[in-house]
Amino acid sequence: MTKGRSWIAVAALLGFAALPLLLAPAGAEQFSARAKLIGGKVKCMCGSCSMTAAGCSHPGGEFSGPCPTAKGVLQEVDQHIAKGETDDQIMQALVQEFGATMYAEPPKSGFSLVAWVMPTAYLVLGALLVIFVISRWVKKNPSEPAASPAAAGTIPPELLERARKLAERETED
Amino acid sequence: MDVFGSFALLLALACAVYAFVGGIAAIITRHPLLVKSTRQAGMATCGLIFLATFSLVYLFFTDNYSIAYVVSHSNRDLSTFYKVAALWSGMEGSLLFWSFLLAVYVLSVLIAYRNKNGELMPYVGVVMAGVQIFFLTLNNFVESPFKALAVPGADGVLSYFTRADGNGLNPLLQYPEMVIHPPNLYSGYTGFTIPFAFALGALLARYPGEKWIHLTRKWTMIAWMFQSLGIMLGAHWAYAVLGWGGYWGWDPVENASLLPWLTGTAFLHSVMMQEKRGMMKVWNVWLVFCTFLLCIMGTFLTRSGVVSSVHAFAQSNIGPWFVAFMGITLLVCFGAYLKNRDYLASENHLDSVVSRESSFLFNNLLFLVACIAVLSGTLFPVFSEWFTGNRISVGAPYFNRVNIPVGLLILFLTGVGPLLAWRKTSTESLKRNFGWPLLIGVVVGAVAFVLGFREFFSVVCLILCMFVASTILLEFYRGAKVIRARSGASYPACAIDLTMRNTRRYGGYVIHIGMVFVFIGLSGAAFNRDVQKSMHMGDAMQIGPYTLVLQGVDTKPERNYTAQRMLVEVLRDNKPMMMLFPEKRNFLTNKENGTMVAIYSTLKEDLYVVFAGIDPDAQLPVIHAFLNPLVKWIWFGGVTVVFGTLIALLPNRRSVLVLAPAQQPSAVHPLPHAVTSSVALREGHD
Repeated sequence: MTKGRSWIAVAALLGFAALPLLLAPAGAEQFSARAKLIGGKVKCMCGSCSMTAAGCSHPGGEFSGPCPTAKGVLQEVDQHIAKGETDDQIMQALVQEFGATMYAEPPKSGFSLVAWVMPTAYLVLGALLVIFVISRWVKKNPSEPAASPAAAGTIPPELLERARKLAERETED
Repeated sequence: MDVFGSFALLLALACAVYAFVGGIAAIITRHPLLVKSTRQAGMATCGLIFLATFSLVYLFFTDNYSIAYVVSHSNRDLSTFYKVAALWSGMEGSLLFWSFLLAVYVLSVLIAYRNKNGELMPYVGVVMAGVQIFFLTLNNFVESPFKALAVPGADGVLSYFTRADGNGLNPLLQYPEMVIHPPNLYSGYTGFTIPFAFALGALLARYPGEKWIHLTRKWTMIAWMFQSLGIMLGAHWAYAVLGWGGYWGWDPVENASLLPWLTGTAFLHSVMMQEKRGMMKVWNVWLVFCTFLLCIMGTFLTRSGVVSSVHAFAQSNIGPWFVAFMGITLLVCFGAYLKNRDYLASENHLDSVVSRESSFLFNNLLFLVACIAVLSGTLFPVFSEWFTGNRISVGAPYFNRVNIPVGLLILFLTGVGPLLAWRKTSTESLKRNFGWPLLIGVVVGAVAFVLGFREFFSVVCLILCMFVASTILLEFYRGAKVIRARSGASYPACAIDLTMRNTRRYGGYVIHIGMVFVFIGLSGAAFNRDVQKSMHMGDAMQIGPYTLVLQGVDTKPERNYTAQRMLVEVLRDNKPMMMLFPEKRNFLTNKENGTMVAIYSTLKEDLYVVFAGIDPDAQLPVIHAFLNPLVKWIWFGGVTVVFGTLIALLPNRRSVLVLAPAQQPSAVHPLPHAVTSSVALREGHD
């Protein structure tokens, strides 16, 4: 191969390599939709924000887009996706690399399950407690004697006044 | 002036200690002079705290860079407006500001009740002085804002010096809302001290009946209103300044402000059970205790470094002080409760499961569940580290998942609760009150579904919002109709008249309407969209119906920062609409960056444009544009909530008895009005 042909071959190779860059418009999406979805489940590990990797806008940073750390994570996710890994496998790989602090929400296994169970348990137990309390209060209420016209006439005025005041108070708000 | 401020703080502590110790002695001896002198010591404490606070403000205004706190949070080019905000921008100043606001409340209470409630007030004074002692101890000995700038020399002796200029204020705080958000939030935190002091004081004094509830109702509402306003302003600040397109990120500091708001809201509802039915006395006392403790815990979380947060104060050794204070407070509360719990015995009778009382119980349950869920989520990283050695973080997705269903249940009860009658609600009444609103809600939900809104929680939220709004409007309509039948005035005039006759009830409804607006706004979050793009000059990007064209980037030098500004033309249907100017600010003194978002806001949606900066890879300016539906409703809702609270704080207008047949309009036969009880006009409202 002559020297000239070699140069042409190298130029062609470089040209092909650069083709995706030339074709891609400025500002084209850098990360796949799936990477962003997974990036929404892990935290940005830059230490300067508490956002997810996909949602990092790095307040106070020079660049308010995903910070380099978040970008690195999203790129890494895309690499895992390219290898054909499942979402769970990718999450596991990230957690192995960065630790459990990586989770944007606690996993639904092990001790972290407590975080998910607690609110539901509070709600269910609380509701049962409220129902129990209400039913007890209803039962405690003594049944009122049936009013008769004759009895009505015998109500002392002070009792009637008290009842009127009570009714007024209870219907005020 | 720094020496003056330090002495004022020291004297304030001495006065607070006297008010506390002397107050206990006054309770024991019941000596009138001692009672009076401790009350005056309480007032003097407040006056001295005011002096100390004004001293620090003066140091900021006079650019006194011999004081470490002033150096850290101000500089010569900082505008006067932000020099005021610098007061609470750091740990030391914010704690002094806590004391200042607490002093405003304490002084107001001491003056308002100086000749009233002689049995109760010494106890209240002691509790308030106890809280003041804690914060003044921090102000004096732990985080003093008056420390002089000094470095230790080789011989260990401190040498004092003065800097030519300061480091400047954190850029994130250089925004108008940051001047009003913290005072509001702190006013909420500190304000809950007053109901706490009255509750604990009443329990210790075995003060009879529901008097303490009546006395503290307005104070609780004022604190609640400030807390609500503070939270709302904080959310708006996060939205307009941080540039991430959202308003609530479930950051620990945000959560800390929400916790007392949740229990405070539960309390504002459950007090009605005690006022009307003499029920839930123990529960109410503990709700107030918890609300106060959560205020202290919020302050602790923000300042101790226990949980990491983007806008927490610098870590310090202040944590143990707060833990000790919370521990002592809890012990005192438990002790007072155990000693005097018999006094809190309730009647606890219900006529029916379907009643206003039951709805209040469920309402309280839901607020408490929300509070515990947020608290446990916020502290879960700490717990997980204790138990497993791994710090498992809990972020926004978790809080959204847990709190959205609870929030929707609360919204449902917002509609149902007020329309249930006390004691017992009949089936007829249920049909009459809920038939139409339910139908309206379902129809709106069906229309939304047909129009393509398929996000489950958003559609449910929309249905509930319509249901709640209809129940409230129907309630106004019915009340106004009764008045109109008698007075012949227009419906709006009758609705205003109705509101003014029972400000508490109808102010409450206005607050509920405000919350409906907030929920409408929140439901839009499911449909947020965003596009980020590196742009050449003249490039266009599309988001929803809007086309954004980058027309240029210029530099705008200001006194304290230099702004890089994007000139973005907005087109809709190819027709020019407006120019937006999102900015990226570089602050000269501390070399930090800030964002100024450009927002075009309508009731339907917000076009939210951020100048994200120069893409480090492409070296091109980057626009990050968001289309956020319904956000404006949230701010509108916040304003409505505050407006409703102000209405509820007004005294009732004395209603008049019109001695005329219901069908006869008064315009035809005006009759003399006589001031009577409001009973005659209350029919049809409950």
